Amino acid sequence: MRALTKSLILMAAAITMACGPAHAQKSGGTLVQITQPEPPNLAPYISTSGPIGQVTAKVFDGLLEYDFDLKPKLGLAESFTVSPDGKTVTFKLRRGVTFHDGKPFTSADVQFTIMDVLKTNHPRGIATFKEVTAVETPDETTAIFKLANPAPYMMAALSGYESPILPKHVYGVGDIKTHPNANAPVGTGPFKFVEWRRGEFVRLDRNTTYWRQGRPFLDRIVVRFIADASTRTAALEKGEAHIAGFGAVPYNDVRKLSALPSVEVTTKGYEMISPLVEMVINTKKAPFDNVKVRQAINYALDRKFVIDNVWFGFGKAAVGPISSNFEPSGLFGAGVDFTVPDRIERANKLLDEAGFPRKADGTRFEMVHDITPYGEEWQRFGEAVQQALAAVGIKATLRYEDVAKWLKRIYTDYDYDMSSNFLYNLADPVLGVHRGFHSDRIKKGTVFVNGSQWSSPETDALMDKATTEADAAKRGALYRELVTKVTEASPVIYVHELKFPTIINKQYKNLIDSPLGIYGNYANAYRE
Amino acid sequence: MGGAALGRYIVRRLLQTLPVVLGVVILNFLLLQLAPGDLATVLAGEAGGAPKEYIDQLRQRFGQDQPVLVQLFHYLRNLVVLDLGYSFRQSAPVLDLLLARLWPTLLLMGSTLLLSLSLGVGMGLLAALWVRTWKDHLISVAAIIFYATPLFWIGLMLILVFSIKFGWFPTSGMEDVVAFNVGFARVVDIAHHLVLPTITLSMFYLALYARLMRASMLEQRGLDYVTTARAKGIPERTIVTRHVFRNALLPVVTMAGIQFGSLLGGSVVVESVFAWPGLGQLAYQSLFARDFNLLLGIFFLSACLVVIVNLVVDIVYVLLDPRIRIG
Repeated sequence: MRALTKSLILMAAAITMACGPAHAQKSGGTLVQITQPEPPNLAPYISTSGPIGQVTAKVFDGLLEYDFDLKPKLGLAESFTVSPDGKTVTFKLRRGVTFHDGKPFTSADVQFTIMDVLKTNHPRGIATFKEVTAVETPDETTAIFKLANPAPYMMAALSGYESPILPKHVYGVGDIKTHPNANAPVGTGPFKFVEWRRGEFVRLDRNTTYWRQGRPFLDRIVVRFIADASTRTAALEKGEAHIAGFGAVPYNDVRKLSALPSVEVTTKGYEMISPLVEMVINTKKAPFDNVKVRQAINYALDRKFVIDNVWFGFGKAAVGPISSNFEPSGLFGAGVDFTVPDRIERANKLLDEAGFPRKADGTRFEMVHDITPYGEEWQRFGEAVQQALAAVGIKATLRYEDVAKWLKRIYTDYDYDMSSNFLYNLADPVLGVHRGFHSDRIKKGTVFVNGSQWSSPETDALMDKATTEADAAKRGALYRELVTKVTEASPVIYVHELKFPTIINKQYKNLIDSPLGIYGNYANAYRE
Repeated sequence: MGGAALGRYIVRRLLQTLPVVLGVVILNFLLLQLAPGDLATVLAGEAGGAPKEYIDQLRQRFGQDQPVLVQLFHYLRNLVVLDLGYSFRQSAPVLDLLLARLWPTLLLMGSTLLLSLSLGVGMGLLAALWVRTWKDHLISVAAIIFYATPLFWIGLMLILVFSIKFGWFPTSGMEDVVAFNVGFARVVDIAHHLVLPTITLSMFYLALYARLMRASMLEQRGLDYVTTARAKGIPERTIVTRHVFRNALLPVVTMAGIQFGSLLGGSVVVESVFAWPGLGQLAYQSLFARDFNLLLGIFFLSACLVVIVNLVVDIVYVLLDPRIRIG
């Protein structure tokens, strides 16, 4: 009886959750979002620069959406089936969906978007849709993806943020690379693009013919651009702006803002992005070609100190290249534990064994530590690393350059010893993790790939297998083996999983309702 | 001097500035080649990584596979018909981007120039009249403090006090993006948003003009023509307003003309603190993105602005001092 009651309550709760508190949701209101920096353009099909998606994910829909466990939900696709061999994926598309210009959405738009735009022009789409040989359109509401090999990771990359569906009749006319609509997007999403005043704001108004009945609730979204961090904090404090994420507010101001009764702070909504703070080591350069030296540095780093003092607690110690956000989907694995209590003794021992005894002045060797040029906290991080290295006898000099010069140094010239770095796991390890240490990603001049230039035939083989393995449990096992091997070799030091704080004005509800967070579409968001 | 002479003078001056502007453009073009890293790398970096095929594609599109001199030649040829090129990062023609930012920039500079000149000159004038009294010291000390305080700090303090504490002014931006006012209400709204940035940017220049005006007034007052005027029995008030003031103004006007160029630079900080959509911020962003087409466009426009302002200054001279002849 008790069990029955309990399940009834659960059912009731589930039903309420499914319907949502409909009575509380009022239409109307303008949401002001702060996005930093200003996006260079509004063409998410050609550039994946972070701020672009924060605007365009409201304008474009994807075939799928995702829940917090990264499981697919339906978007523009009404249903989808994957063939047993994993080489055919059939999407049934929603009927009666129209683009913002009133023209209907059909399977031709899907074919055009995938084959003519994303597969050839999207920085990540080139990899995501590598296996897609054709998109067949037997009728207006069916799109069949034909793959050369199974590509399970592709199913995680079909959101409106990652793979926006474009109208063929707009973007199919003229050169897609310099298209006039690059700054005036047209999609099927809950909000229509109205105006972009550079240096000020982008204005999006409610799409009154959105295919989800009764959505969206908000009348308007204005995305503002404020270059100064303190002013961003002031605008949020005064209630002139209502949401900001991705480090738009400095960590020390987050604490101040969270004390206000009008503001809440959440770290949810980054599960499909999974940012990792790392240190990449030049494994082709002595003494860093010695695995013992790399392991010693890995042990020397005090992750807890860094998280608590540099990132104000917004982080979780990393145990390998794959984020713990992949735990629900079974792809997570923990590697060698470098946070053991006797880590300093171990580091010293490894350095002795590697042939770098302490000299008379207590140091073993000197090196240069490059710093990711992304702002204040990275400089503080560099100083923390410098201190940690000094404790084991490595004298590190810090170097801070601007983004263009730093990227060239790490990924083109390979002219560095060790650098802090910041990479996203993205929606699937194939998209965000493999690039860090697969041999086919040692590409001079390509940024955010394998800058350590380390690889091994075993780890390459594990990744190649995981790429085409359709069974999630088997993929998970491959990744656990991979993580152990990579952390042993330590070409990259995984420091922590960064938990970005998102600042939200409490008047606004349901803003963060997917693992994409601010990259979501706000269709269900409303103002109280 | 007739209007025709003035017209001829302006045309001749403008023709003389052509080689100056051309020199600025060529020099900037070559200087920018020295910066390490390129737009393709930055774009790929912003994207969080991109395949090599993509980066090569970009470089080809930007014309970076061509020799530098060929690129320069193309740029100059396009400049003749005012085609400033295309910003690949912002996916828009450079000229459109510049024009959109021009009027907010001119608005902020114009109001700053007006406020700092009028207040600065006024303060300098009073300080000179009250020379070596406590009022003079007060004005001088205030000027020094304004001059020495960093702009961003003044800006942030003004926001903290007048925007957050008292709620009199908006924290940032150029207009209310929730209301989207139209017509006269919009003019009032923009003026409301203009107050804090103008005060902040004016502080620095105000101090400069006040100090200069004071010194200039004191110098003029000791000259022979003032003694002569006094001997003629002209009232002290008339001497100050009709003779000393006008002559003392000349160095201040010169200074204001020269400062105009640096006003563009100084506004980077104020624009960023108050999220004002001006040219300074655009220049700053495009430098770090290595968006050279856009940056060259900004340099070109700034050079033109400075040249024009200095021409205006020269004409103002004539109005202030009839002894100065143009030509």
